[in-house]
Amino acid sequence: MGIHRWRPASPLALATALVLVACGGTQGSTPPSQSGVLNLGVIAPFTGPAAEFGTLLTAPCLAATDLINADGGVLGHQVKCTSIDDTGDPADAVPNVTRAIATTSNFDFAIGLESNTAATTVPLVSNAKIPFFTTNGLTSFTKNNYPYYYRMTPGDDANGAAFAVWAVQQGYKNAAIVFQNNIGSEGNLPGLNAAMPKLGGKIGLNLTIPADSASYSAEVARVIAAKPDVLIWSADPQTTATFLANYKALNNGVLPPMVTATDSLTPDFFNAVTKVVGVDYVTHQIWLVGSYFDQTTPAFNTYKNALLADANTKDIAPVLSTVGPPAGAYDGINIMALAMIMAKTTVGSYYNSYILQVVSPKSGATVVSSYADGKAALASGKSIQYVGVLGKPSFDRYHNSAGEFDANKFNADGSATQVGTISGSQVLQLLA
Amino acid sequence: MQLLIEAIGFGIASGAVIALGAVGFSVQFGMSNVLNITYGALMTLGAYIGLFLIDRGISAWVALAISGIVVGVVSVAFNRGLLAPLVKRGTRAFAIVIVTVSAGVVLQYVIVVFAGADAKSYGEQSGQTFHLLGMVLTASEVNIIVLAAVLMLGLHLLLTRTTLGRAMRATASNRILAQSCGIATDRISDIAWMLSGMLCGAAGVALAITTVSFDFSLGAVFLIPMIAAAVLGGIGQPYGAMVGGLVVGIASELAAAFTNPAYREVVAFGILIVMLLVRPHGLFGAAWATRRLMA
Repeated sequence: MGIHRWRPASPLALATALVLVACGGTQGSTPPSQSGVLNLGVIAPFTGPAAEFGTLLTAPCLAATDLINADGGVLGHQVKCTSIDDTGDPADAVPNVTRAIATTSNFDFAIGLESNTAATTVPLVSNAKIPFFTTNGLTSFTKNNYPYYYRMTPGDDANGAAFAVWAVQQGYKNAAIVFQNNIGSEGNLPGLNAAMPKLGGKIGLNLTIPADSASYSAEVARVIAAKPDVLIWSADPQTTATFLANYKALNNGVLPPMVTATDSLTPDFFNAVTKVVGVDYVTHQIWLVGSYFDQTTPAFNTYKNALLADANTKDIAPVLSTVGPPAGAYDGINIMALAMIMAKTTVGSYYNSYILQVVSPKSGATVVSSYADGKAALASGKSIQYVGVLGKPSFDRYHNSAGEFDANKFNADGSATQVGTISGSQVLQLLA
Repeated sequence: MQLLIEAIGFGIASGAVIALGAVGFSVQFGMSNVLNITYGALMTLGAYIGLFLIDRGISAWVALAISGIVVGVVSVAFNRGLLAPLVKRGTRAFAIVIVTVSAGVVLQYVIVVFAGADAKSYGEQSGQTFHLLGMVLTASEVNIIVLAAVLMLGLHLLLTRTTLGRAMRATASNRILAQSCGIATDRISDIAWMLSGMLCGAAGVALAITTVSFDFSLGAVFLIPMIAAAVLGGIGQPYGAMVGGLVVGIASELAAAFTNPAYREVVAFGILIVMLLVRPHGLFGAAWATRRLMA
């Protein structure tokens, strides 16, 4: 008749179907194969006020995929970084990411999903069964139930506590907190509020400011009146430049020392702020606190050399290589690619369960610090443990791996130097 | 009390910049009855022309004048080449607004292609401040307030004391009647667009001086406060836009000084809504304009 009518299934057929559904997408069934290039989604703002994050996260993707592709790709597939613009605004992020998931072939892994939009993008990508390494710092993900979620950078509350530790270590006891009104910046507040009194310091003023105002003179007048000895700060480069210029004008040319996040360790921030308050202040009075990692390891050298080798990233390599979240994204790509090899498939729902195996310590495992080393070890039948730029990842049951903290300073050429470390356990104690 | 006085001073400074842009916007709207959203991108263009000139050693104030002239010419071309033909074809007002939104986006991204998306600056400011009645103003803020006052006075004299000004007001009031009185309304319209564009370009440079750091979204961000100022004053009324600019500027600085600064614009726009509920045509709306016209 040409029309297919629905008929009740027999109990045996129904049971078979249920078993098949239950097994679908897990280990044990035959791994599916794909053809063509694999798309690695870089989900980040590429337009709008937070567009610098797009640059910041594309660079480690290019570094990792250059190395992976030079080594023959993953299971014979070349890998391509695909920019997905979340604009830093959930209202744009949802349609843009949904469209990318629906229309991008072989969308098998992702990085990014930063704090501004993570609350909406994380569920979308996880529900699409695409494993991803996020750079968001939202404390709401410290405990979560997303099976495809992985994070190798500390939560914002821990960052806030680390700011307080560093400020007090430098002898500053009266802090003025000025944060831009975005979710990432404000996430630092609980940690600061918890840590500062325990360290014997106090918060003289706590202001939230809008981005890109014509002037911050009124806010600056309030900060000056609070007489802080340190400014704990988080805002985009343009907002920072305008605020500091206003501060300098209204305070007889004197600016307070600043503690901010390594998120600001970018050429955009350096250039914008240097132009309006001078290089001397930027190199001597600003500390940038974030994830610590050893910059002498083989993994770091491989990463930095890959950034220097790519024409699109070589200019920002000296600064970028010292920033935690991009390094975490680079490690994440290597980990996911090695998990694909272990699972013998590039399909996320299959290789996801191998991700923890790539990094877990096990006796007799070959410690590898690059994709090429890991691929070679797996090809010769060895088990591996990936130790990357951020060191040994140690994921908890929620797939979060935090680690230690460090403080950095800008050099006159815009590169950065580590000037101290902060114990991760001390930070966690302050939050307890 | 000290913070209150200071905040009023900061408000006058930012209000002066808003007023510069809002007056240009209002002049152009009064003449063409077109809600020109491209105005924000034209302001950004003015700021970047200023940057181009300042980077080549030209003083900021000369750059401001040149930017004003260039943006004025671009505005006339924009009206002649795009908006006027649409109006002549009977395109709906809403469609024309969308065209101006689209043209603004295109212009914004053309700027990015040539100048890049990173933050720009005219450089470090002198650091000199002036103390007046408890207010603290930087040298550039004082200069911008004076400049805005001079331009506003010039515009006032032009509109009230010259034949051209009377022709502009007549055209804005009733184009057909003005035509029948022998006024070359197309030429008057060109002059109005030129004038509006000059104020727009000057406002772009003044805004870039005030913000110290800016990028391609500069004009788009400040378009809303400017439209708010124009609406508050009575859309199409240049004098209203001047006062509207000051009200928006002072209200947002007071909000930043005494409430959570994150809501500085919310407070300013809240005042706008309340005032419009009380005076639906704005501070200097239709009735006031009629009285002025007949004076």
